Amino acid sequence: MKSSSIITRMLRHEWLPLLLMAIAAIIVLALISNSFLSTYNLFVMLRILSVTSLVALSQMVVIAIGQMNLAVGAIGGLVAILFGAMLEIYGVPIPAAIVAAVSIGLLCGALNGLLIAWTKINGFIITLAMLSVFTGLTYGITKSIPFYNMPQALKAAYDSYLGPVPTILFIPVLAALGVGFILNWTRIGRHMLAMGGNPAAAELAGISTTRTMIFTHMLSGGLAGIAGVVAVARLGTAEPSIGADWLLASFAAPVIGGAALAGGHVSVVGTMIAVVLVILLENGLLLARTNPFYVQFFLGALILLAVLFNQWRVQQAEARRASSRAVLT
Amino acid sequence: MSALLTVSGVSKRYPGVLALDRVNLRLQAGEIHALVGENGAGKSSLIKILTGVISPDEGEILLTGKPMRFSTPRESLAAGIAVVHQERNLIPRYSVAENIFLDRLPTRYGVVQRWRMQDEARRWLDVLELDVDPATPVRYLSVAQMQLVEIGRALSLESKVLLLDEPTASISEHEVARLMGVLRRLRDQGTGILFVSHKLEEIINLCDRITVLRDGQNVCDAQPLAGMNKDDIVTLMVGREAAVTELGARAATIGSCRLELTGVATAAGHKNINIKAHAGEIVGLYGLVGAGRTELAKALIGLDRITEGEVRIEGQPVRIHSPLEALRRWRLGYVSEDRKGEGLILSHSVTRNTAITVWHRLRRVGAFIWGSLEKDFIRPLMGRLDVRAPGLDHAVGNLSGGNQQKVAVAKWLAADTRVLIVDEPTVGVDVRTKGYLHQLLWKLADEGTAVLLITSELAEMIQLADRIYVMNGYRIVGEIANSHDYDEMSEALMQIIQNDNDVRTRPVRAREEVEGHHV
Repeated sequence: MKSSSIITRMLRHEWLPLLLMAIAAIIVLALISNSFLSTYNLFVMLRILSVTSLVALSQMVVIAIGQMNLAVGAIGGLVAILFGAMLEIYGVPIPAAIVAAVSIGLLCGALNGLLIAWTKINGFIITLAMLSVFTGLTYGITKSIPFYNMPQALKAAYDSYLGPVPTILFIPVLAALGVGFILNWTRIGRHMLAMGGNPAAAELAGISTTRTMIFTHMLSGGLAGIAGVVAVARLGTAEPSIGADWLLASFAAPVIGGAALAGGHVSVVGTMIAVVLVILLENGLLLARTNPFYVQFFLGALILLAVLFNQWRVQQAEARRASSRAVLT
Repeated sequence: MSALLTVSGVSKRYPGVLALDRVNLRLQAGEIHALVGENGAGKSSLIKILTGVISPDEGEILLTGKPMRFSTPRESLAAGIAVVHQERNLIPRYSVAENIFLDRLPTRYGVVQRWRMQDEARRWLDVLELDVDPATPVRYLSVAQMQLVEIGRALSLESKVLLLDEPTASISEHEVARLMGVLRRLRDQGTGILFVSHKLEEIINLCDRITVLRDGQNVCDAQPLAGMNKDDIVTLMVGREAAVTELGARAATIGSCRLELTGVATAAGHKNINIKAHAGEIVGLYGLVGAGRTELAKALIGLDRITEGEVRIEGQPVRIHSPLEALRRWRLGYVSEDRKGEGLILSHSVTRNTAITVWHRLRRVGAFIWGSLEKDFIRPLMGRLDVRAPGLDHAVGNLSGGNQQKVAVAKWLAADTRVLIVDEPTVGVDVRTKGYLHQLLWKLADEGTAVLLITSELAEMIQLADRIYVMNGYRIVGEIANSHDYDEMSEALMQIIQNDNDVRTRPVRAREEVEGHHV
């Protein structure tokens, strides 16, 4: 009884087709390539996942309120080099540097949110401007030279195991649980989705859309900041170019995962599966020795396919809606 | 009389349900034909088929004897069927004139002739006596003004067939009367008009014949309306006698003063507004389109600035800066006239839409919200309002209009307000739902809420209100106790507005329009 209800609940979820697709991709890749399931290759993918999952969530929360944060990568980059500077130049202890770095991310996000609130200018333009502001700061501070001397302890922590499990597996899991919890179980999360669904209705119902918006951008900045820190740990250097290539994946994953770009509806699980799917695609192309320059091409094709599939699914739901409406009255 | 538009045996099946089951409709030239039925009876599907939005599965449509098959709205329009849809279909940033002539902008050498277009638009606005500048962007108009613009647009097509789907849903009695005059004139010139409305008084006044749908089937087909009364139509619609209970007079127990406005002026343009509403009282705010009623409500909940005067809630002077403050601090709520635009989050569940006003009170542990807590809270409300949804997790957008409106109201019941402003509470809902909502407002007042009722439907106002303020040109121009006698009250209210218009040499224009000139 219980198990059947779990299965029916699973079937209702929109991310199920994605999950099946990911599983199919894993099976296919395992069959065609011996090296796919090697510990080394799995670890390579896990390392990418540790950063990309955070980037995707960072964008997803802003999509939830019906806005966009083009500065996700720029915030990540700025946080990364400031984190590197703290460690290399000022010798700040790693935990303190992490806290400070993530706070900088929160601050950058808050700045985005406040600017949008004050100016009442579209978030797209504000974050586009801030993308340039943050990136400019990053390159200005570093003069484009990475901080190379990261403490050994940072690398070691990144590559450590908790029992049999690599520590970095906890990053996407905890981040997804955290964001999922906020969206589904807290007041502010409800406010975010309500605002994304219909800002006018949310405001009339006594929700402060300004506060909700600023909180969301802070959350986004914080997640981007964590992504920056993790990226430094992963690379072992704090490079100013960190974050430069995050934008595409940041939108691709939430959208493939079933988010409504207009806001009001996002799927944490869907987004995480989509991140995995994107990584599998890249990995598969790599294993198949495809010209790496074509990876972008295939990623684009994947996004198009996913969006078309989503649209088809929404139309199916519309047809059901029309029939249930007729029944109801 | 010749058959202008014939629908015969049209069926439309959606997965799992037959929305239309061999439906017939015979519209003749030079008649106003009523199409009625409860929400979900199939009216909307039929209109969508006639306007090319959806295609029928079987059946035939003949226009002046020729079989037609529309696959896009454009084809239907080109064939000579003009329509005013229930939903607004205007482009907010375009001017009134541009919206009216959207698909046939007058051009010379490929350049839009702005002045000619505005002159022609003016003509149609004058027919409807809508006093707005054709150059005003539509987004500055009130909902009612927008509706009149859509009607103007349909009229300007001068087509053989005119479909009107709830054209009077958000316009006031005065404009309804004017619209009826226009429609009668068109009928006499030979236009075939299909008139869909929930307002049976209008149908009896205006229409010649009637087609009734119930559960996707014809209950009657082009029956002459002469000799039929409201009850006959209701019986046809719902299939049994006396589904509508006319409320009698309510003995209001008036308590202390909940809301008091003294000499209030707003940034929207209101001048010297004096209003009182007591606990247990339903206070009406009546006025024509553009009188400033909705705008006053919005200023009260903090969406617009109050520039002068004093607002008191339960005797305390208040300054409200946001709807959040209005709700949490002063328990003042506003049920919007625009259900889809401002009232509901259509993609979200019934539960979330209803509980939205109480999330801040649902706190038990920190800021966490448990789904079950929410549901326990709203379940009694759903029962009380008789909301029919397959489940509380069902998206509100999937419900019928009447049930959507119930949810929009339910969320304010949940909020447990002390002053509730209700703006056009029964727009586009069927008779039965309307009855529920009316009873509900009464109960709310009986329980001690001060209800400020804004409605353009005179019958509703006279039925529900204890006292009525009349608003005109952003001022209060009169106050009368409600005798609940329709003829007496309608005359008295109209008289007040007429007198005020006579006094003023030139009507004070709505703020939107003045703004429109500057933008």
